[in-house]
Amino acid sequence: MAESSKKENGVSSDKSQEEEKAKSKEEKTEELPDTSYRANLPKAIFVEDVDKFMQEPGNSSAEQVLRRFDELHTKYKFMESNLLEKKRRLRNRLPDIQKTLNMIKYLKSIQGSDKSFTTHYQLSGGVHGTAEVPPTDIVYLWLGANVMLEYPIDEAMELLTNNLDNAVKSLNGVEEDLEYITEQCTTLEVAMTRVYNWDVKERREKKLASLQQQLQQ
Amino acid sequence: MAAIPKGKGEIGKDMVVLFEDQQKINLFAKKNSLLNDIKDQITEKERIFKNVEDAADELILFDDDQMVPYEIGEVFVLLSLEEAQQKLEDYKLELQKELDKLKEQASSIEELLSKVKSQLYAKFGDNINLEADS
Repeated sequence: MAESSKKENGVSSDKSQEEEKAKSKEEKTEELPDTSYRANLPKAIFVEDVDKFMQEPGNSSAEQVLRRFDELHTKYKFMESNLLEKKRRLRNRLPDIQKTLNMIKYLKSIQGSDKSFTTHYQLSGGVHGTAEVPPTDIVYLWLGANVMLEYPIDEAMELLTNNLDNAVKSLNGVEEDLEYITEQCTTLEVAMTRVYNWDVKERREKKLASLQQQLQQ
Repeated sequence: MAAIPKGKGEIGKDMVVLFEDQQKINLFAKKNSLLNDIKDQITEKERIFKNVEDAADELILFDDDQMVPYEIGEVFVLLSLEEAQQKLEDYKLELQKELDKLKEQASSIEELLSKVKSQLYAKFGDNINLEADS
C-alpha cells in the first residue's frame, strides 16, 4: 500500500498505454488442429459369443486373452488421463480469455468519449497503484513468447473472440475424444468380465466332469 | 468413474449380450460421465452467482456518490455506484442464462439415463450394476 502513491502523479497518456499493456496481456495461443485420438486408437472389439470367441486362433487360454485385454485397458486409461488433463487446461483458459475480452469491451464502450477512468492496478502481489486511463483506440496484446503487438480495439476484440471460439472448439474436440475412449473402455470391460465368467464356468464344468468320472469308476 | 457395468452376481446362466445391448451400456457410461461433468459446472456457476448476489447486496449499503472499484479483466476500475450495479445485474442475467441451459441439459440427460437404465436392468437384472459408486 505504501507504494500506491508512486504512480499517482504524472499520469500521462504514455503511462496509460503502459497500463493497457499490462492489462491486455493475453497469450495468443494458436490452436493447432487436433490430431484426433480417435483416428489412432484401436477400437475395442465387441465379443458377442464368448464360446466362439475363445475358439478363435490366438485365444487359447482365458488368461492370455485377459492379459491382452488388460494391456489395452491400461492404454485407454492412460490416454483418458492425458485427455482429462488437456480438458482441464482448456477449461482454465476460457475464463482468462473472457476476462481480457471484458476489458477490451469496456475500453470500447468508452471509446470516442472523453471519459477517462481511474483504475487500481496491481503493481505486484498485493500491492495496487492508481492510474488514470483516458479513452484509447489502441491496445497492446501479449502474444506469448515475449512478443506484444499493437492492435486497434476492434481488431483486438476480433482476435480474442476468435481465440475464445478456438478454445471452445478444441474443448469440444477433446470431449468427443473422451467420449470415444469411455465407449471403448466400457466395451472392453464388458468383454473382460464375460471372458472371466466364461473361464470360471468352464473350469467348474471340467471339475464337475472329472468328479463324475471318478465316481463312476 | 461411476457405473461400470459389471457382472457381480454368481455365474448363473450365461448372459447373452447383443451388440445392441453393448451400445446401450456404452451410451449409459458416456451420458453418465457427461451428467457428472454438467453437475460440476452447475455447482461452480451457482457459487459464482451467489457471490455476485452478495456483492450486489453489499452495494446497496453504499452512498450514491461513492465510487466502486469493479474488477474488469485483471484490474479494478472505479465505477459509479449506478454503473457497477448495472454491470453486476448484467453479469447475473448472463449467469442465470447459462445455468438454465445447463440445468435443462442435465434434466434431459437424466431422463435418457433412467430410460436406458430400466431397459438394461430389465434385461440383465443382478448381472449389471449401474449405480454410482459412493
